[in-house]
Amino acid sequence: MVAAVRAAAVAIFLACAWGSAAEARSLTVDIGRLTHPQLRAEELQMRLDGAGGAQLRAARLAVEAQAVDAVALECAHLSLVDDRLRCVDGRLEAAGMLLGDALQLAADLARQDLRVDARLAGGGQLTVEVAEAARLRARLEALPLAAVHAYWPQLAQWQVSGSVDGGLELSAAAAQWSVQVRELAFGSADGLQAAEGVALSLQGGGEAAAQGWHWRGALAWTAGEAYLHPLYLTAGARSSANGRMVDGVLHVDALSAHLEGVERIDARGRYDLRAQVLEELALSVSMADLAVIGPRYLAPVLLPAQADGLIFAGHASGGVVIEHGELQAIDLAVDAAGLSLADGALAFGPVSGALPWRAALPTRIVLDVGGGRWQKLALGAFTVDARAHGGEVVLEALRIPLLDGALAFSDLRLQRREDGWHGGGSVVVEPIAMPLLSVALGMPEMAGVLSASLPGLRVDPGEIVLDGALVVSVFDGYLMVTGLRVREPFGVASHLVADIDARNIDLAQLTETFSFGSVSGHVDAHLLGLELVRWRPVRFDARVASSPGRYPRRISQRAVQNIGALGGAGAMAAIQRSLLGFFDSFGYREIGLSCVLRAGVCVMGGLDQRPGGGYALVRGGGIPALNVIGYNRRVDWHELVDRLQRVIASNAAPEIR
Amino acid sequence: MKIHAMLRAALAALFLAFAGVAAAQGNLEINTPAITALQQSMQQRHAQLAPLYASGAVGLARDGTVALRDASSVPLAQRGQINGLIAAENADRAALYREIARANGHPEWEADVRATFAQRWIDRAQPGWWVQGGGGWVKK
Repeated sequence: MVAAVRAAAVAIFLACAWGSAAEARSLTVDIGRLTHPQLRAEELQMRLDGAGGAQLRAARLAVEAQAVDAVALECAHLSLVDDRLRCVDGRLEAAGMLLGDALQLAADLARQDLRVDARLAGGGQLTVEVAEAARLRARLEALPLAAVHAYWPQLAQWQVSGSVDGGLELSAAAAQWSVQVRELAFGSADGLQAAEGVALSLQGGGEAAAQGWHWRGALAWTAGEAYLHPLYLTAGARSSANGRMVDGVLHVDALSAHLEGVERIDARGRYDLRAQVLEELALSVSMADLAVIGPRYLAPVLLPAQADGLIFAGHASGGVVIEHGELQAIDLAVDAAGLSLADGALAFGPVSGALPWRAALPTRIVLDVGGGRWQKLALGAFTVDARAHGGEVVLEALRIPLLDGALAFSDLRLQRREDGWHGGGSVVVEPIAMPLLSVALGMPEMAGVLSASLPGLRVDPGEIVLDGALVVSVFDGYLMVTGLRVREPFGVASHLVADIDARNIDLAQLTETFSFGSVSGHVDAHLLGLELVRWRPVRFDARVASSPGRYPRRISQRAVQNIGALGGAGAMAAIQRSLLGFFDSFGYREIGLSCVLRAGVCVMGGLDQRPGGGYALVRGGGIPALNVIGYNRRVDWHELVDRLQRVIASNAAPEIR
Repeated sequence: MKIHAMLRAALAALFLAFAGVAAAQGNLEINTPAITALQQSMQQRHAQLAPLYASGAVGLARDGTVALRDASSVPLAQRGQINGLIAAENADRAALYREIARANGHPEWEADVRATFAQRWIDRAQPGWWVQGGGGWVKK
């Protein structure tokens, strides 16, 4: 190689300087500039001292596009005998730092070959051989990665460790390389990007082309683990690629990768190494098994708080386009995908369709949802047809079938902001038959219809407001639900609040449905500030009273006994027990009951206040008449519900017979 | 300014109420079922978070959340779980601030509730825990 160096722009200036008597004699040769197809040296200077040693210095040494300043090679002994150049016990410096020592160099100027062995400053051994004209073979062994910190200060904060072996064969027109990284570990200061025990194997080659180089390579991650926030990754991924290297721009013409759970990953792109800009990237993922990649890659990014409770199914394919470092497009297609909460409270699927997104253009999302489940209710098949623009999603209409009716949303507009989704629209509940709904909810079958018109649907993080009215026609009367709010819908504090106004509820149907004996007549009820947690009431101000008007009012002996049982032992002291044995039913004038539920205690009241703390629940009238008086003011709500369930259960049994 | 003063007074009463909850079920007018559910959820999670506060992996941020500030001491395989734990804790905290503002009849106080709680969490942090001040993270 030495002889192959073509001194193209030769400006050799010889200067011989004989030192004073006190100094050793030395000879300095200023060579100026040396050029070679892959190598250029500037301000090259050779200095020979009188003791057989020598120094070779270059102010700048450039190999291809890479340049180093202040390169110096020192030899303790330099000899040139019969075209054989030898440097013994040398040391190499660059930019003021020691690169290697114990350097042995042997070159045959006639045969044009060269061999250099050096112990690298940070550890590891480098061997470079040049044989024939411009054919270079280099071998790097056991280079500790920690040593790289000295030359690449930005890496120091990553605390990189591990070792590298590498091999390079280079000629003017072709190159082959291989790199093995062992026990690679690194960690950012905050621990959000880190790896341990990583083994990587990289192999490749390239050929010189009319412009730059054509290259190909294969990378395999064979051992170790990594945490790249928020993803935890383990070894197993492989990829191979080919491309070009032109004017400092790395072109990846084709890259394919293998990752467990994904049938195929392909990419192509362009990276400007000088400007460090990703000029272009097109990545596509085909047939990803959501059951595998969902928990590993999707849940930690999209829903980290619920990551443990999400179940994924089906397949997805997708693509991403980045231009000039900016995300331009995302395409996602799902095929029979399913998403459900592990507790079964919410499930959707199978879902098929496409979700495109463009940075600057509106897109249309169309998803066919095969069905779903919300709490105990099964949802029918529906289609989501939405427009997305930037962070906004608009659904002009969405109809989700529910039993024999539907939830019909219109003009639904949702915006993604830093704290979550905001938006609104309106929803109509198309009539749902109460017999179907009550059975689906595990309640006794009830006649009637449920429907709602809720034009004031508003969504904010932590609250869904449903202003309007939900009406249930049931037991000959109706319930009107207003002020509906679903608060903290996705957390432990999920609760629903509403005000309910019930009118003209037929007690005969109600008591028959719930097997509570028999009461004829009608009641009105008001539940203000009703709060349900997991569908159980935790707070309300309730008042039930006989509806105004003329209608038969009778209460059966069994119903009276049941009311007594609800009050607990001794609670209904004023029931005229003696009468109970003689009559099956009694007339009444009025029924009245109130309950203020707070903190698990129902503070009861009735039609009036009586001396001794009692209150009338049923005021008798007609023949035979009967008053039912309550005495317990504070009733434990859970105990009351338990008793009610026991009463219903005990009364239901004979009726089945 | 006036609202802020009222809020301070309301929160002072609320903190007293919190202090009393363990001893007596007295002041449940403010302690709504949702707040109780959130407190229980956070209390259960605290057993998992406490060692992470002590090791410095997780710190108390000045915006009333908890943050993964130095995961280096945590095995790699568990860093994702801790991120999930933090996300769940922050979801509960956000809900708690909203719920307390609502319980006071002033949902618009949420930001003030959050700011006051943030300072409270930091004031009550145990020695050795990391808290975020105006100048960054400091060890108490």
